[in-house]
Amino acid sequence: MSKALIIDDEQQMRRLLRMVLESRGYEVCEAADGQLGLQDAAFHRPDVVLLDLGLPGMNGIEVLKRLREWSDVPVLILSVRDQETIKVEALENGADDYVTKPFGTAELLARLTVIQRRRFTRQSAEIVVGPLKLDLLHHGASLNGAPLKLTPTEFALLKVLAEYSGRIVTQNQIMKLVWAGQTSDPSEGLRVHINHLRKKLGETGPRIVNEPGIGYRLEEV
Amino acid sequence: MPAAVYWRVMFLQGRCLKPRYVMSSAKSPSSQSSPLPIPLAEVGQYSCGLTLVFVLASTCWVLLPYTGDLFAALVFLMAIVVVGTWWNRGPVLMMAVVSALVWNYFFIPPQYTLHIEKPQDVVMFSLFFIVALSMGHLITRLRAREATLAQHHQEREHLLAEKHRAELLAESERLHRTLLDSVSHELKTPIAIIRTALDGLGQGNPYAIEINTATRRLQRIVESFLEMTRAESEALEPQPDWCEIGDVLHTATAPIQQELAAHKLQITGTENMPLLRLDSRLLAQVLGNLLHNATRYAPAGTAIEIHATLANGTLELRVRDHGPGLPLGSEDHLFEKFYRAPDSPAGGTGLGLAIARGLMLAMKGDIEAHTHPEGGAEFVLHLPVKTRSAA
Repeated sequence: MSKALIIDDEQQMRRLLRMVLESRGYEVCEAADGQLGLQDAAFHRPDVVLLDLGLPGMNGIEVLKRLREWSDVPVLILSVRDQETIKVEALENGADDYVTKPFGTAELLARLTVIQRRRFTRQSAEIVVGPLKLDLLHHGASLNGAPLKLTPTEFALLKVLAEYSGRIVTQNQIMKLVWAGQTSDPSEGLRVHINHLRKKLGETGPRIVNEPGIGYRLEEV
Repeated sequence: MPAAVYWRVMFLQGRCLKPRYVMSSAKSPSSQSSPLPIPLAEVGQYSCGLTLVFVLASTCWVLLPYTGDLFAALVFLMAIVVVGTWWNRGPVLMMAVVSALVWNYFFIPPQYTLHIEKPQDVVMFSLFFIVALSMGHLITRLRAREATLAQHHQEREHLLAEKHRAELLAESERLHRTLLDSVSHELKTPIAIIRTALDGLGQGNPYAIEINTATRRLQRIVESFLEMTRAESEALEPQPDWCEIGDVLHTATAPIQQELAAHKLQITGTENMPLLRLDSRLLAQVLGNLLHNATRYAPAGTAIEIHATLANGTLELRVRDHGPGLPLGSEDHLFEKFYRAPDSPAGGTGLGLAIARGLMLAMKGDIEAHTHPEGGAEFVLHLPVKTRSAA
């Protein structure tokens, strides 16, 4: 059974999240502020953390930074909309994904599943996203069993997106992982390669979805 | 005209001459383009100075038998001190030199010659000359310093006022943002709770479906108000980045899938469009508002068309529906806040188009609306964009 820690200052929100998560078989503990949240994270060792950004006192970003000093537990950010910059800040400080309040329960549960799953795919030599297969040893790719011709950059880009499949990856993270931050106009080059990849993945392959101001997410069709 | 009156008139004119000449020199470009050795404003002072010396010399000459030559020297000195408080350095120094020579010529014996006989008169003349010159010099220097001080003071005041204003603006902007954030949090949290609770209830119950519809509507209204406030605030700064038109359209349509489901969305002109540099979130918001409007006004089953073109660095997007078109005379008010066309379906805030226009203006673009000749409303967006080949 997975253990989830909810850090949110709204009591009603915590209660509802507890009901939703317990109905899906999670064991739930909750904290009303960042300080208590950090203590609970150390004490209960949860498998996943749901962190509200708008916390009183120590804000969500600060909680995340402290948590990341000693733990790599998957963290899902809950935030109110229109805060792209703060979302990017959270993601680049180690958050795994976010949902925007008000959110649908289905979306929340899907994100939780995805961020807990990533641990396994990282260790294997093959990444599978629906009909897409990436062979990390031989740098080969195939779609629906047919080989997919990719340039080295496209392969590296697709590998990053597939590794975090279903999860948002920020533009900066992609730049660091694919180009080691070494291009002059990052977004422009990135857009061009994404464009090429989308054409090669076609209708049947996973979709590369853009989230404006944040980054990309590879989604299974 | 008695000499004293004439003197006063000339003297007063000398005072007014300066600003008058300044004004006329500012008006006529010729005097600005050809630099005179003497500033135009000073010409009046020079002539007045000469006249003054002439008038004083005549008066003193008449009085010479009763007063003696020293009296004339003191009168000249006084005149130099007095005009020194108003006039520029040049005319004052000129007056010092001229009155020294006049005094020498007309008053120091032997008269009517520049030659001086008695040694004490030579000393007297040299002293007069030195005193007159230094007077003129000192007084004008004092005035120059006063003027600089006044100017510095004024500049300082101006800078302080500017700084104060900037601080006030920043503070009000910060307050505004804090207020917006907290209002946003307070309004959205209950909606989030209702939605989560409704999801838990399941969608089988018809009452739950009604609450769900109302909640979505409430959420839309709250978001419109917040977006309107943001569009009106100075804080709204577009953040352009390279993007694909397809991504913009996806961002625009994803949140209103449910509303769009009843219509046929047809998108043309986007194939092979180069990368565009724009704030895709803002443009998506504009398109989302237009599409949402179209779904409300156009009958179910009709098509909603988006046509994109790119020409001369301007992106044009046309959003057309096949509804009743715009009510006559509403074109001018359509984009006003809280304006609702007569016979609009219930449940709108009258903010969607005002937001759309606010955001387009923030991006240096524009938006217009008309009824299509073949029926239906058509909205046209223009946005200046940089482009780059995406191939």
